Amino acid sequence: MNTLLHLARLSDRIVVAIGRASTWLALVLIAVILFDVVTRRFFVLGSTKLQELQWHIHTILFMFCVGFAYLSDDHVRIDLFRAKMSQRTQDWIELIGCVVFVIPYCGIIFYLSIGFAYDSFVGGEVSSAGTGLSHRWIIKSCMTFGFALLLLSGICIALNRIVILLGPPELANLARHSASVHKTDLVATPDQPVEHVRTSPPTHSIAEPSPQGKPRSSTRSSTDDPSS
Amino acid sequence: MILLVDYLPVLMFAALAVLLFTGFPVGFILGGVGLGFGFLGALLGVFSVNEFFNLVVRIYGGVAENMILTAIPMFILMGTMLERSGVAHELLHCLQILFRRTPGGLAIAVTMMGTIMAATTGIVGASVVMMTLMALPVMMARGYSIPMATGTIGAAGTLGILIPPSIMLVIMADLLVTSVGTLFIAALIPGLLLASLFVLYIAIFAWKFPHFAPPLPRDDGPDTYGDLAALVIRAFLPPLFLMFLVLGSIAFGWATPTEAAGVGAFGAILLAAFSRKLSLSVLQDVLVRSMRTNAMLFLIFIGATAFAYVFRSLGGDFIVGDFVESMGLGSWGVLLLMMAVIFLLGFFLEWIEITLIVIPIFTPIIRTLDFGAHLPQEDVIHWFALLVAINLQSSFLTPPFGITLFYMKGTAPAGIKMEQIYLGIIPFVALQMIGLGLIIAFPAIALWLPHLVFD
Repeated sequence: MNTLLHLARLSDRIVVAIGRASTWLALVLIAVILFDVVTRRFFVLGSTKLQELQWHIHTILFMFCVGFAYLSDDHVRIDLFRAKMSQRTQDWIELIGCVVFVIPYCGIIFYLSIGFAYDSFVGGEVSSAGTGLSHRWIIKSCMTFGFALLLLSGICIALNRIVILLGPPELANLARHSASVHKTDLVATPDQPVEHVRTSPPTHSIAEPSPQGKPRSSTRSSTDDPSS
Repeated sequence: MILLVDYLPVLMFAALAVLLFTGFPVGFILGGVGLGFGFLGALLGVFSVNEFFNLVVRIYGGVAENMILTAIPMFILMGTMLERSGVAHELLHCLQILFRRTPGGLAIAVTMMGTIMAATTGIVGASVVMMTLMALPVMMARGYSIPMATGTIGAAGTLGILIPPSIMLVIMADLLVTSVGTLFIAALIPGLLLASLFVLYIAIFAWKFPHFAPPLPRDDGPDTYGDLAALVIRAFLPPLFLMFLVLGSIAFGWATPTEAAGVGAFGAILLAAFSRKLSLSVLQDVLVRSMRTNAMLFLIFIGATAFAYVFRSLGGDFIVGDFVESMGLGSWGVLLLMMAVIFLLGFFLEWIEITLIVIPIFTPIIRTLDFGAHLPQEDVIHWFALLVAINLQSSFLTPPFGITLFYMKGTAPAGIKMEQIYLGIIPFVALQMIGLGLIIAFPAIALWLPHLVFD
């Protein structure tokens, strides 16, 4: 059980670190768009390369964050009945869901996308527009990598729920704590608890800023927003 | 056995419906059900497991290599940044002062703020929660009746999915293979029409029954007109400038919607910097928050790709098409049927699932619809998109299941009862229906402006 928990934490850390780091690319995307718009307007450059770079970045942005978003419990759920289930039932559903849906689906897409990227590499695929970017295998491998991260996040959640459901109480507590770390992360500032509330309207996230997760959120909120 | 094969798509839909209610993330359920029925189909000899490779191709070609969808992360970033820049608070404060002499002034201020800020979030849950946190305490402190306050906030907060720049319209344009710019411009007048209906209702109601919506104290706000003007400029200029930048550059053809979104995101960061709200930690927080929201949307894309592909491959399209045809409804009947289906789904699902699951199934049927002299054939798609948008918006507000109401209940102080929220929203649902009826009867409300701008 201890090993499982450590594995879960390790994969958690990997997925979150990569996801967090990749969000800065959004600024790069803004820069590319501005550069593209300005140069086309004033110097009539009109670069297919820049246009293609935009969707390249877009792809990395969502593929690298999708596992991160799962670990942060951002994904849309239908909460109609969930709100009335016990925590234990919810944990069982999460575990079964990971094993039946997340891991097979991501696993298969991941596996197939390896061939997809490899074919592109071997074939030296370039943009279908003559003036576009070359080396299509790079972005295709990024997609593969993103699915690997999503798969990893699914495994992480599954391991975590196994410890919670089947492990000894003190480990289960630890596991529950690590499961809620990123959640509380989002309740950062008092005027902004917006985002993830969507996932559980009635009582959860807002009402329980999980005491254990506090260090992280409290340091953030004190530095974040002077007005609050 | 043969029966099972024929009805596989129906079973698939049923499985989806049941599993969704487990509360497991929607995107994963879509993908998992797609995969499961793919295997089942393979077992029954109507699907080939090799076809799963096409999913990778579709995700790459349809979702990744897609200049239209690239606008989405940028619009989300813009909205999240704008929220953090404090623009909304200042706007509400200013509107409150401007409307202090009008009956129901505060409620009108909230509606107008919803209309202006609505443009920025694009996710119903998020904007309703934001509006509730910001406006409900103020309205309660000013002695508004609770149904009046919650009704106003719910209706104004839900307007966000319609008023451009709307992420939903970006996705619809992609699915319906039409221009984002046209949909944005087409949504402008209907959105403003609904907002004006809300304002009109509030003003009349508050004038007739002042104890439900008491007037604000007259001595609120600055004394001189000069101060007032300064306040107005400071509060209005930034968001309006940003909206103009985004919509204007699309309307005048300076930029594609994707580029406009990027410019808008940059503008929002500048605004935050000017109002001294920008720091490294704020920037980091906004980036992480918005990219997670973005990933949340795209997971559903990834899952829906599998679901839609397998559903179609098993003949789901034909079943829906045949079913609709067998009812012999005619164009109007089919339109109403679709609206009814979307309306009912809106009770349970956010717009993103409905759009991604239902629109692809409906698209081939929509293209065959003919409304004769009512509107030209080439406009049907745009008109339909707008009707779906308004319809969804209404269904989010409709008791007993409208999801806006649940978000509001979850965010509002404990003393507020669900019945009060239900009671408050009813007039606004009626107004939505009037708006929807007007746009069905007079398509020009939606189509006049795009023709003017783009022709």
